[in-house]
Amino acid sequence: MKRKQIISLIAVILLLILAFIVSAITGSLRVTPLELISGLLFGDHEQVEIIKDLRFPRIIIAIFAGAALSVSGLLLQAVMRNPLADPGIIGVSAGASFMSLLMATLLPTLYFFTPLFAFLGGALGFFLVYALSWRGGLNPLRMVLIGIAIHSVFSGLAQALGMQGSSLISSLTQMNSTLSMKTWSEAETLVICGSIGLVLALLVSRWCNYLALEDKTARNLGLNVNLMRFVISMIAVLLAAVATSVAGVFAFVGLLVPHIGRLLVGSDHRILTPFSILAGAALILIADTVGRALMPPHEIPASIIMAVIGGPVLIILLRKSERIYGN
Amino acid sequence: MEIKQISYAYDRTKQTLHSISGWIARGKITTIIGPNGSGKSTLLSIMSKNATPDSGQVILDGKSLQAYRAKELARKLAVVHQHNVAPSDLTVEKLVGYGRIPHRERFASGSEEDQQAIEWALACTNLLGKRSKTLDALSGGERQRVWIAMALAQKTPFLFLDEPTTYLDMYYQYEILELIRRINREHGMTVVMVLHDINQAIRYSDRIIAMKDGRVVIQGEPEQVITRETLLDIYGMETIVRTDPEAGLYIVPVGLGHVR
Repeated sequence: MKRKQIISLIAVILLLILAFIVSAITGSLRVTPLELISGLLFGDHEQVEIIKDLRFPRIIIAIFAGAALSVSGLLLQAVMRNPLADPGIIGVSAGASFMSLLMATLLPTLYFFTPLFAFLGGALGFFLVYALSWRGGLNPLRMVLIGIAIHSVFSGLAQALGMQGSSLISSLTQMNSTLSMKTWSEAETLVICGSIGLVLALLVSRWCNYLALEDKTARNLGLNVNLMRFVISMIAVLLAAVATSVAGVFAFVGLLVPHIGRLLVGSDHRILTPFSILAGAALILIADTVGRALMPPHEIPASIIMAVIGGPVLIILLRKSERIYGN
Repeated sequence: MEIKQISYAYDRTKQTLHSISGWIARGKITTIIGPNGSGKSTLLSIMSKNATPDSGQVILDGKSLQAYRAKELARKLAVVHQHNVAPSDLTVEKLVGYGRIPHRERFASGSEEDQQAIEWALACTNLLGKRSKTLDALSGGERQRVWIAMALAQKTPFLFLDEPTTYLDMYYQYEILELIRRINREHGMTVVMVLHDINQAIRYSDRIIAMKDGRVVIQGEPEQVITRETLLDIYGMETIVRTDPEAGLYIVPVGLGHVR
């Protein structure tokens, strides 16, 4: 590993730890960082115990949702060979969110299977974008435009379902827009499915490197390009779907984090993937903490903070990529 | 390698290859020539299993290409494509190392044999001094040599190259061609390439396959294939074909023969 890569990894680990501490002590219930750490180590601090119950599920969800969404974006970018692919923009997250809402409306008793429905919805969104933008190859611009169209259709449908007024649904949509009121059981789902997805993503990082070559070149090296694409896409959809079904739709994380990662640690996925896991976790945790701290007792949802930061960054990326993909 | 009555249509309305037959001589350099759209690159991609023919088959070592597993084929046949893409921060040595993928078990790391093959490929292409450079720090000619080195690291008996000299200036063009000839002469690799320049094809090939409109017009040694009549037929160009005591066979285009 080069020095810049090591420094970047250490920096992002420190940032994540710092964000964790700040997030844990921020809010109406206050403790000092020292009290927090000793309370965590020895379990003798009453307020730290309360914080553990109330704030920790939310912190863990922010961490895993951020990691899952940024890696999902990274994998989609590798599969589509397009730096603008992001589950929250091209309809994967929206598909997941719509499908889990639809199933909650039609079959509320199957609530337990929500992550599965989210996965199916995400896969549907991904398939539509891929199939509709394919014309003997994937043009990055056409893919993003079609992705945005698919995204708006699915999120429109999801909102329509929300309007329709069953109390369960409206509470679901409302909860999904923020990370507040998260319980340990929701955190558990995300931690289990998310960890599986993240480990799989680390295992296929070599494949992601190979996909950066032309398909023909990879094929003549004896690689099964279609199989690699399919497996990596499904991991990406799993990560986006499980994050969406627990934490809601976040745009731009999957765009922002891998891009920053490429600037700092380069394009080798064996380093870029761990970096994206850590940086994505830190980013959403910071966004959530900022949203909580800005004007208490009101909260600005982390997804809104992300949209405000992500919008300008997308503009910068698009302006840069015109030079690369201009035609 | 034998090509048996290959037909291929890019889409339903237009047939690109019409029942092509021929063979590739072992240990020789064969060059496919022909005007744009004559199907030479298509033929090369069928011969490297990047496209599946509608009918007919390509036989390699007594076995149809379709019966080969991808890795098995990649140990017999390496291809240098015309357009190549790789992350610009990849180092020369890493990219050349990709040539060892077909010899590696899944998830296993490199062996002694892999490292030797990489050293050999770097040495052949004169890239030992550039091994830790990233791709964006290389010139066009060097980058083309890296892709050839990656193919060489596959250690295959067959090497295919699709227009290996495009986008390069004259010096680099001949550098690549000399390199290909050296690999062929010293290591007995069978080379098949697509070229646009007839004089380069004459000078660097043992056999030439001339194509037009998805058919093979003539194939054989350069002296048999390159005649005024053939060139007028396939390119519609009026040429002077001469033999010079020093330069050997050469052509000079002198004008348009007829309207294409």
